[in-house]
Amino acid sequence: MTTEIGQSSVRSDAVTKTTGSAMFGTDIALPGMLHGRLLRSPVPAGRIVKLDLSQVVAAPGVHGVSTAADVPDRRSGLVLLDAPLFASDFVRYEGEPIAAVVAETRELANQALEFAVLEIEEIPSVTDIEAALAPDAPLVHPDWESFDTSPGMTWPRSGNVVAESFADPEGVEEAFEKAAYVVEDRFETGRQYQAYMEPRMAIAEFDGQRFTIHVAHQFPYNVRDRVAGALDLSPSQIRVIGHHIGGGFGAKLDTGLEPYAALLARQVGRPVRLANDRPEDLLTCQCRENAVIRIRTAVSEDGALLARDVEVLMDSGAHATDIPFLTSIPMHVFGSLYRIGPVRIKTRAIYTNTAPTGAFRGVNGTHLYFALERHMDHIANELGLDRLKYRRSSLQSDGAQLPTGQVLDDAGILSEAFDAIERKAPWAELGIGPNRGVGVAACMWLTNPMPGSVTLKLNSDGTLGVLTAATENGSGAIATGVRQIAAEEFGLSAEQVIVTMPDTDAAAFDAGSQGSRTTHIVGRAVHEAAVQVRARIFETAASLLEAAVEDLELADGAVVVVGTPTTRIPLADIAAAAQAAGGPISGSGSYTTPMPSVNPTCASGLLFPAFPTPTYHVHVAEVEVDPVTGGIRVLRYLVAQEVGRAINPQAIRGQIQGGVAQGLGYALWENLWIDEGRYMQRTFEAYGLPLATDIPEIEIVLLEHPDPAGPYGAKGVAEPPIIPVAAAIGNAVADAIGISINAVPITPERVLEALVDLR
Amino acid sequence: MRIELTVNERKVMLDVPPSETLLTSLRERLHLTGAKEACVEGECGACTVLLNGRPVDSCIYPTAASSETQITTVEGLRGTDGKLSPLQQAFVDHFAVQCGFCTPGLLMTLSALLANNPDPNRAEIQQAIVGNLCRCTGYVQVVEAVEAVVREAQR
Ligand code: FES
Ligand code: FES
Repeated sequence: MTTEIGQSSVRSDAVTKTTGSAMFGTDIALPGMLHGRLLRSPVPAGRIVKLDLSQVVAAPGVHGVSTAADVPDRRSGLVLLDAPLFASDFVRYEGEPIAAVVAETRELANQALEFAVLEIEEIPSVTDIEAALAPDAPLVHPDWESFDTSPGMTWPRSGNVVAESFADPEGVEEAFEKAAYVVEDRFETGRQYQAYMEPRMAIAEFDGQRFTIHVAHQFPYNVRDRVAGALDLSPSQIRVIGHHIGGGFGAKLDTGLEPYAALLARQVGRPVRLANDRPEDLLTCQCRENAVIRIRTAVSEDGALLARDVEVLMDSGAHATDIPFLTSIPMHVFGSLYRIGPVRIKTRAIYTNTAPTGAFRGVNGTHLYFALERHMDHIANELGLDRLKYRRSSLQSDGAQLPTGQVLDDAGILSEAFDAIERKAPWAELGIGPNRGVGVAACMWLTNPMPGSVTLKLNSDGTLGVLTAATENGSGAIATGVRQIAAEEFGLSAEQVIVTMPDTDAAAFDAGSQGSRTTHIVGRAVHEAAVQVRARIFETAASLLEAAVEDLELADGAVVVVGTPTTRIPLADIAAAAQAAGGPISGSGSYTTPMPSVNPTCASGLLFPAFPTPTYHVHVAEVEVDPVTGGIRVLRYLVAQEVGRAINPQAIRGQIQGGVAQGLGYALWENLWIDEGRYMQRTFEAYGLPLATDIPEIEIVLLEHPDPAGPYGAKGVAEPPIIPVAAAIGNAVADAIGISINAVPITPERVLEALVDLR
Repeated sequence: MRIELTVNERKVMLDVPPSETLLTSLRERLHLTGAKEACVEGECGACTVLLNGRPVDSCIYPTAASSETQITTVEGLRGTDGKLSPLQQAFVDHFAVQCGFCTPGLLMTLSALLANNPDPNRAEIQQAIVGNLCRCTGYVQVVEAVEAVVREAQR
């Protein structure tokens, strides 16, 4: 019997995606469909003095307009209800929706918006997170106190501070008093655009009773709940159908255009499509937030990390989105990897008059580990120790505790990851030569624990159907991982497993493609469901074969009697027999990871209290810096990644290669530069995405420590490869030029500036 | 205006406004949605089609200028027997596809490369696709797929 686990089985969607027949969200067109466009704020902060749409309504092809006056007077959000559908009195970021128009074509809708009369009186804005904390800084939301939160959720917030988490354990001050060295750094990191290739879109229909919304979205159930929240509907009034997704990377987890499509569809009684053009998409995307991080560590004579004091400021933009959850993450990062005494951590997310930020693969891990691992280099250099040796001698081992009290049973894997890299590329041989340098960075990251479910059904031709609301965002989690796991459970090949596209009317809740959760959580749900489905298969087969259930096994699409492989009955026959006898064979399963225990009083505002199913990673980068242009070339890049169990090695390789490429973009080139609240770039070209000529082949070692709770041992894979990249590159650049650059992206301008300072 | 052209070896007649792009004509009039709209600025290559064998960004190419030309879109890459082209098959086999939104454009650009240079080296392949953005793959498995086609052709 062949096994699917560990095979690089081809993706279920690979053929349709190479022939052009795969339908993405933006490819969907419904009969009678109209086109909506949003009138968006041209300024970061201002008071709407006049809004007159009478000429818009009268424009050719227009079916209707909508403004704040047409919708329930309410704010909504993922966890803090602070976002109105349309700005009514004040605008708070460039790109904020003010009105919507629906017309025969996208062009006519655009033309109609030209006739809008909009007068905005600009008011003082706050566009810098440090300035936003000044006592006399203008408030982005003067009425912040009136905002509701999701039921049961509270955390400290005040004024421009949208969320705060603070841990102040005993012994920090004492440790700093007796320290031989105090090492201190300040880091500044940029705002990164997810830059998925398919712009965000939505199509809504309303049949007089219920809404159907077509999306290309990572989290259809969240669309349902968020649209219900925005329009004051009951979630079950909304059906969300998912189509192929042209990339998301976190930006397609919250709602975007869906509530507007629903609103307009109800208003005009025809299907309405909205799709961003690229500048609009870039301008209003929930990008990775820019941040400022200060970190100070007390170190003993022999290099022990006695205590640490960390301050993190994150730019939430004009709304909270999911950022309040992310203020907990520093608690899982700054006491990880290396043995350390008490750690004081104050994290604040700050409102500014910029587009709301949110989830991008790795969330704030990219900048938190940039700070932690750049700082670790600084400490080693201060002590006069080799950066790698010092790390290795300080590594946490099995049973280490995070500042939350969470115990990391298998932190010793870190040491193995360092060994794996050393075997492939000995540290002493890297970064040799003028203007060359080497950097190392590690990280520990979670597998998102949120719930998922599947229903399995045995089809009459012996294939297996998997019904789930989980989404294939391109990572291969559904197209390879879940499919292979389901195949393995029934002795089938992956091609014999058909996974449905998401539909919230049909499949139970799934928390979407985020935090590397899909293969782990949905795979485990498959495993749970398979127990019931197999029981019925064996029961049916036992009576057909006149054998005992204990003597049966599944292999190659049939049930066989153990030891007499010729006595077999194909699954198709079993499906038919069962259907005629007791009814069709199906079964359901659900799973969510139990949260590791933590000390609930370790910090205030700990909305995301633990890091379940952790995995461990070490990255090494070798770079060459051009002292004339300031350009940086990556000569070699190595990754050792622990994956639990590799279900599909080639798919995993693609996730690591692609994740590191995005990490290199973050480290070296990509940033939305903000000038007085406005993004200075509006296009792909100006933004500067990595090209085929920029990215080296990543050298990869996979480490396997099967997780007893995971399907066939699998843990999360796809999110972490982006996380330590900026840190490894930053360390390599500092090694190459002998001076620290504590900001990302490490642009040629920043390199040249540093070199000038050195001279 | 009335335009006559050949799309995937089929003659078509179109009546389009002079400003209409080839991408719009293909997607909305001919229902060939394989070519994707991602930037409409000629910056990403997702909309690439072949015009007389040469890759063009159809999002900025006026349909009016394509009169009497031969257009090939991703839908036209399969053989008449319905089989995937060697390049398409290599994309499938070598995990060159993740989300797949850039895939049609990459396939068109690389088909043109292989038609002109059946034995490109790695640097030439990378250079050929600098106008095709892919956010998912980091490009390496795409390049490997092309290398596999070249190897196979030389056997
Ligand atoms: S859509 Fe044509 S180049 Fe981007
Ligand atoms: S596969 Fe997603 S953009 Fe290339």
